[in-house]
Amino acid sequence: MMKHLKYSQDKEGVATILFDHATLDVNLLSEEVLLELEVLIEKLSQNDELKTVLFKSAKEGIFIAGADINEIKSLTTQEQALAKVRQGRRILSSIATLKVPTIAIIDGAALGGGFELALACDYRIATENPKCKIGLPEVSLGVMPGFGGTVRLRELIGLQKAMELILGSKQLNGKKAEHLGLVDACVPSGYLSFKEAEFIAAINSEKGREKILSKRHKPTLLERLGSALIFSFTEKEVAKKTKGKYPAPLEVIHHFKKIQDMNFYEALESETQSFAKLALTPESKHLISLFFTSERLKHDSGVGKDVQAKPLHRAAVFGGGTMGSGILWLFSKIDIPVRLKVRGEQQIAETLQAVNKNYMAIKKRGRLSQREIELKLDLISADTGFRGFEMSDIAIEAIVEDVSAKETLYKILETQLDKEAIIATNTSSLSVSTLARSLKYPERFVGMHFFNPVNRMPLVEVIRGDKTSDGSVATVIALAKRAGKTPIVVGDCPGFLVNRLLIPYIVEAVHMFEEGESFERIDTLLLDFGMPMGPFRLVDEVGLDVGYKVAKVLEEGYGSRMKTAPIFECIYSDMGLLGKKKGRGFYTYIKNSSEVNEAVNALVTQKHSFSDDEILDRTLLVMVNEASRALEEGVVDNAAYLDMAMVMGTGFPPFRGGLLAYADERGIESVVARLKVLSTLYGARFEPSRLLMTMVQEKRKFYKE
Amino acid sequence: MKERMAIIEGVRSPIAKAGGKFKNLQAETLGARVVQEAVLRSGLCYSDYDEVIIGNVSQPTHAANVARVISLKAGFGDETIAYTVHRNCASGMESITSATEKILAGSGKVYLCGGVESMSNVPLLFGTQMKHFLEALSRSRTLTQKLQTIQHFRPGYLKPVIGLMQGLRDPVSGLMMGSTAEILAQDFGISREEQDSFALESHQKASRAQQKGIFAEEIVPIVYDIAHAKIMHDDDGIRHEQSLEALGKLHPFFDRKNGTVTAANSSQISDAAAALTLMSESEAKKRGLDPLGFLSGFAYAGLEPKRMGMGPYYATAKLFKNMKLSLKDIDLIEMNEAFSVQVQANLKAFPSKHYAAAHGFNAPLGEIDTNVLNVNGGAVALGHPVGMTGTRLVIHVLKELRRRKKERGLATLCIGGGQGAALLLEVV
Repeated sequence: MMKHLKYSQDKEGVATILFDHATLDVNLLSEEVLLELEVLIEKLSQNDELKTVLFKSAKEGIFIAGADINEIKSLTTQEQALAKVRQGRRILSSIATLKVPTIAIIDGAALGGGFELALACDYRIATENPKCKIGLPEVSLGVMPGFGGTVRLRELIGLQKAMELILGSKQLNGKKAEHLGLVDACVPSGYLSFKEAEFIAAINSEKGREKILSKRHKPTLLERLGSALIFSFTEKEVAKKTKGKYPAPLEVIHHFKKIQDMNFYEALESETQSFAKLALTPESKHLISLFFTSERLKHDSGVGKDVQAKPLHRAAVFGGGTMGSGILWLFSKIDIPVRLKVRGEQQIAETLQAVNKNYMAIKKRGRLSQREIELKLDLISADTGFRGFEMSDIAIEAIVEDVSAKETLYKILETQLDKEAIIATNTSSLSVSTLARSLKYPERFVGMHFFNPVNRMPLVEVIRGDKTSDGSVATVIALAKRAGKTPIVVGDCPGFLVNRLLIPYIVEAVHMFEEGESFERIDTLLLDFGMPMGPFRLVDEVGLDVGYKVAKVLEEGYGSRMKTAPIFECIYSDMGLLGKKKGRGFYTYIKNSSEVNEAVNALVTQKHSFSDDEILDRTLLVMVNEASRALEEGVVDNAAYLDMAMVMGTGFPPFRGGLLAYADERGIESVVARLKVLSTLYGARFEPSRLLMTMVQEKRKFYKE
Repeated sequence: MKERMAIIEGVRSPIAKAGGKFKNLQAETLGARVVQEAVLRSGLCYSDYDEVIIGNVSQPTHAANVARVISLKAGFGDETIAYTVHRNCASGMESITSATEKILAGSGKVYLCGGVESMSNVPLLFGTQMKHFLEALSRSRTLTQKLQTIQHFRPGYLKPVIGLMQGLRDPVSGLMMGSTAEILAQDFGISREEQDSFALESHQKASRAQQKGIFAEEIVPIVYDIAHAKIMHDDDGIRHEQSLEALGKLHPFFDRKNGTVTAANSSQISDAAAALTLMSESEAKKRGLDPLGFLSGFAYAGLEPKRMGMGPYYATAKLFKNMKLSLKDIDLIEMNEAFSVQVQANLKAFPSKHYAAAHGFNAPLGEIDTNVLNVNGGAVALGHPVGMTGTRLVIHVLKELRRRKKERGLATLCIGGGQGAALLLEVV
């Protein structure tokens, strides 16, 4: 009796294997499913009446979403890993060796193992269903295809395109997949029933078959003679993107190089070996763990299950600065009509200009046409007064960080908006509960902290004030998700979560500079650690004014342990440096290049060089220490969410799994021991937190094994 | 009329000289911006509206039924119906009077009415010969056939037909609109100097009004070049330094030898949009709205095409007769300045016993008090985006009545092809 597969055969000998996972909304190639498939294929190979086999899915929008990632994550030994992929490989190969033609009908996501199954078929038909996504995205999880996918894909579309697709973890729609040769046809979903029959008729005639096969890839001259060139180019690209921190892409290239002179079966075994190697790397474990966290966040309403998010039909944005224009763009991008309020007419034009710039960047990448962009721009209206805001279901305030200015605005908003309308503040430094005090209906007030630039930064911190209602939180969480962002609920403490951790890291770096270390060296070390940029470049990027103001807010909020470095004030207040936006900060910026600003360097006369470890520990462990406090205070729900916030909000290296995953890997005991040493050397700010001390005693880690 | 119509909020874009700031804004985009703002400022929801009616003269070929395109782009739902009306220069009024008739007939309750014109985007066309040539070419199958067809091509076929000029020519009389104005100049003996001084006054009044921020009360600023952050908030046709000397330098346009009508004493070619919300007075009361004012009557009248400029006389006479009113009851008049001479001819005809008798009217209409006529200038200074002007006049009369704390106004205009329109507007 089959559980996840359904089998049928018509009188013409066309058999259909229908994937329909018994307990999940999606189809996965878990071990259970694979074993069921194996038995079925074995039976089919004995069936003489069989003419054609179709592979289909009963799930809406899904063909087969991939292998079971939990199974990959739980692999701990090489033997397990080898056994796991060999099994999958064997079963998919049994499809390939069936004597009758096999066709995968892809009317939904066919990813990873799911597409490897399709590759094992003789033919593939995709559809124009927008949910139809085709690709081998294993590299994004630190592994690579292991069920024969690399070898079959190279055969199908050639070395160059196969590597591009796998290294980029690309997911293509049906039309692009057809264009690239991944599938033999792409048809509108609604035509599938008769197009399928036409296709079967075609492959049963020699002419039809030839026509289909003639469209398949033929090795290009470059592939036949210049594969060395392809490899060296690809290696350079990968090195630039990953800086050698991610083993999977390197292994993929290595594998493709190795199999050049191998026969098909040797190549499959080489793939198996490479997969097993990658599946055990900590990088892969970390990336998979982050993937699971993001899946968990997708299903987390932020307040518990039964609270309904309010449907949002129209929005308003107050303030047209960098954040305001970013948020305005975001609303129009997700097709929510939005009205902007700014002070002057020229600001309307400038804010729209910024919105348009974001769209032009998308247009350049070919994602939206000018017609589509204009329709999105049509959704934006603006006023310099308060006319026409009554219909807004949500207002996002992104004006100056000034309590009285914000309070004045909220008073007006309460007269203009429906009392059910949500008012969200994009403040990065003021307390949401305090701001809420000026409101008549504080339960609809919530913090929605976007990061700059809004179009590129995926994190949104959702801040719950002490009177914020569950419905308000659930609504902005749902909004952020609709906008493709990752919302994380954080507590209403100074700096919220990300800035609370990031500022001590920056301040510590500045301390070391003040003590005589070269700030360029500090930046280089942290870049090498995997941060997208060092702390000094980060401050320049954010703006010294912004950074300094937030640092002051934290100093005020947390006292001595967050005291800013005196030299910071000197650079910002006395020298008046603002960072990259004005061309001068710790570095000076001329066009696309930058160099150390010697004027800043000259502020410190003494020179002192720290060891690499000392620099990394001071900056990173001060964050770990603060993170443990935030966790203990309940500022964030759990360690996994905190790590996700750091990855999404600061670019903390994903291959390390996040800040607390990093602490776990170093060992909590060793982290605490190191903090104690640092606290005797540099002060009480390094004294290990209560949570860390307890964790040592109880031999706990941030993540459960 | 069984019941007065309430005009809720009315807004318009600034009027931009054709080929100028709005040249890259198509009619549907410009219209959508203004319609959206009219809805948002009305205090109503999109779903409250039954229909969108837009007046437009040179209807864009790429956006057939431009009203529907505007309504979707302005944020109306798929279910809101929309259609475009065309009564030449009165199209922007026709949208309002059509809606009135629908409301009175019980077809709907709340209407979005407006007018839009992008004279910058009236296309150049190929002539009939070129069209026939291209058709023949596409019918030619073989190479020989194609070569044969190509032989018949003449370079003259490439001469474009200027769509705008065609639109401004009356096909029945064969006259350009300006030439019909010349006829009125002859009929009433109005000299070039008189026309120029009328034009000068229009600029002076408009200039004063703009400086006082009077137009700003009805204008929605328009971002016309998003890439360079350019926004327009004032009409740009007004010449603040206009003078009789400058006006006198122009050659007559329509009759180079003896003519009196010049580009400068005629209305300007422009781009703009205007929109307002219309419902019955009782509906407005039911909804607790405070209308900008009311439409209490209207009339369209027909006359000979080559004297179309006298349309205001005919339409006003009909309106007064229907409503049992006379000029004494009117506090404010906006008579569209299609041509200076055309307004001046009406000024002369209104009190004339002779004119009334010669044209089959019982009695003259009476003397128009020029102190209440076009008090903030007119199309000579501001421009005449044909499909939009009618809506603008209605909004402007109501706002000006409120500023003057007066009660009743008349918005009237002449219509190419030989018609006139007159709308009676009230604020109390």
